[in-house]
Amino acid sequence: MNSDDNKNLPLGTTEHFSNMHNWLKRALFVCLVALVLEASFSLPGLLIWFGWPTLSITEVCDELMKVRWSDDRAECLVPHPLYGANEGSGRTLGADGTAQDEWGIQPRPEYKRIGFRDLVRFRDERLLREAAAPEYLP
Amino acid sequence: MASATGFGVYDAHQDDSKQAQWRADKWMIAGTLLMGTGVLGIFGLPLFFYGLNLQIQAGKAGLSVRPLIVTLIGYLVIIDSSLNSLGWAMDLFANHSLINRVLTAGWGAVFDGGYFWHYNELMVGPYAVGGAGAPGEKGWEISLILACFCPRLAAAIGLLQMKRWGQQWLIVTCWMGLIVWIGYNLNMTFYADVRYANITFPVWGWWVYDIFYITPFLSLPYLHTVNREIFSD
Repeated sequence: MNSDDNKNLPLGTTEHFSNMHNWLKRALFVCLVALVLEASFSLPGLLIWFGWPTLSITEVCDELMKVRWSDDRAECLVPHPLYGANEGSGRTLGADGTAQDEWGIQPRPEYKRIGFRDLVRFRDERLLREAAAPEYLP
Repeated sequence: MASATGFGVYDAHQDDSKQAQWRADKWMIAGTLLMGTGVLGIFGLPLFFYGLNLQIQAGKAGLSVRPLIVTLIGYLVIIDSSLNSLGWAMDLFANHSLINRVLTAGWGAVFDGGYFWHYNELMVGPYAVGGAGAPGEKGWEISLILACFCPRLAAAIGLLQMKRWGQQWLIVTCWMGLIVWIGYNLNMTFYADVRYANITFPVWGWWVYDIFYITPFLSLPYLHTVNREIFSD
C-alpha cells in the first residue's frame, strides 16, 4: 500500500483492482444520475404521455380507471371516501362485470393499451358515444 | 523539526480533513434528501454535485477525505433504497391518493401491468389492502422494505461514516440483492400476462426503467476487493 507505485491510488484501492474500481466508479455515477433524473421526470413524463395538460390530473386518474375496468362509468373519486367501496366492486366479476380478463391460473388482462396521448382520444370517443346515445349516460 | 511538527500538525490535518468532509457531506445529504423523494430529485442533484466537488477539491488539497467511490456507493444506495421504499410505501399505505393512482398505477399501465391490473382491489379476508394486486407483488414489497432496503439504508450510513459494520452490512444486504433480482424477476415472469399484456412498453420498457437499480452488483465487487482496513471498528 505504501509503495511509490501505489501512492496515487485512492485509499483502499490496490494496483491490482484499480482498473475495476475505476469502471465501477463510472457505472455508479451513471446509475446515480440516471436514477435521479428518471425519478424526477416520471410523474411529469407520464402525465404528458397520458394527456396532461389537455386532461387535468384527476381526469387522467379517471380515464386510467375507465381503461382498467373497461367501464365508462368507472370514476376516480378525489378524495376516495374513507372505507368506501372497493373501486373494482361489481366491475371485476359477476353478471355486470366489465373487466376484460381471460381468467385462469395465469390471468390475462385485455384492457386497451395506452399509447401516446391516448387517454385524450379515449375521452373524446367516449363523449361522442355519450352524445350519440344520451340514455347511455351513467 | 519533529518536535515542532509532531502530533500537532497531524491533529490539525485530521481536524481540517474532518471539517472538509462534513462541509461536503452537508451538501450531499441535503441533495440526497431531495433526490430520495423522487419528484424533487432534479433540485437535489446540483446540491449533491456541489458537495461532491467540495470533497474532490479537499482530496486534491491533500486532506484525508473518503474515497470517491465510497461516497458514490453510500449515497447511491441511500437513493436506491429511498426510491424503492417510497414507491412501495405509497402503494401499501397511500394507494387511494390521487398522486399514487396517477403515478404508480399510471407507471403500471406503461411499464408493469402488475401495478395497473385490478389496482386497489386486493383484500386479505375482509380487510381491504389495495394497491398492486399482481400475484406475489405485495409479499415482495413488504419483505424487501423490511428485510432489505431498511437495513441496506442503515448500512450505507455506516459505510459513509467509514465504519467496518457499514461495509460488512452493505455486503450482506447487497448479496440479498441477488435474491431480490432473481426472485422478483422470476415472479414477474411466471405471471407475465398480468405484468405485460396490453401495457405500453412491455418487458423491454421495464428493463430500461429498472436497470439503474442494479446498485448492489456495482457495490459488491468493490466492497469485496477494497482494503477493509480503511473502515474502522
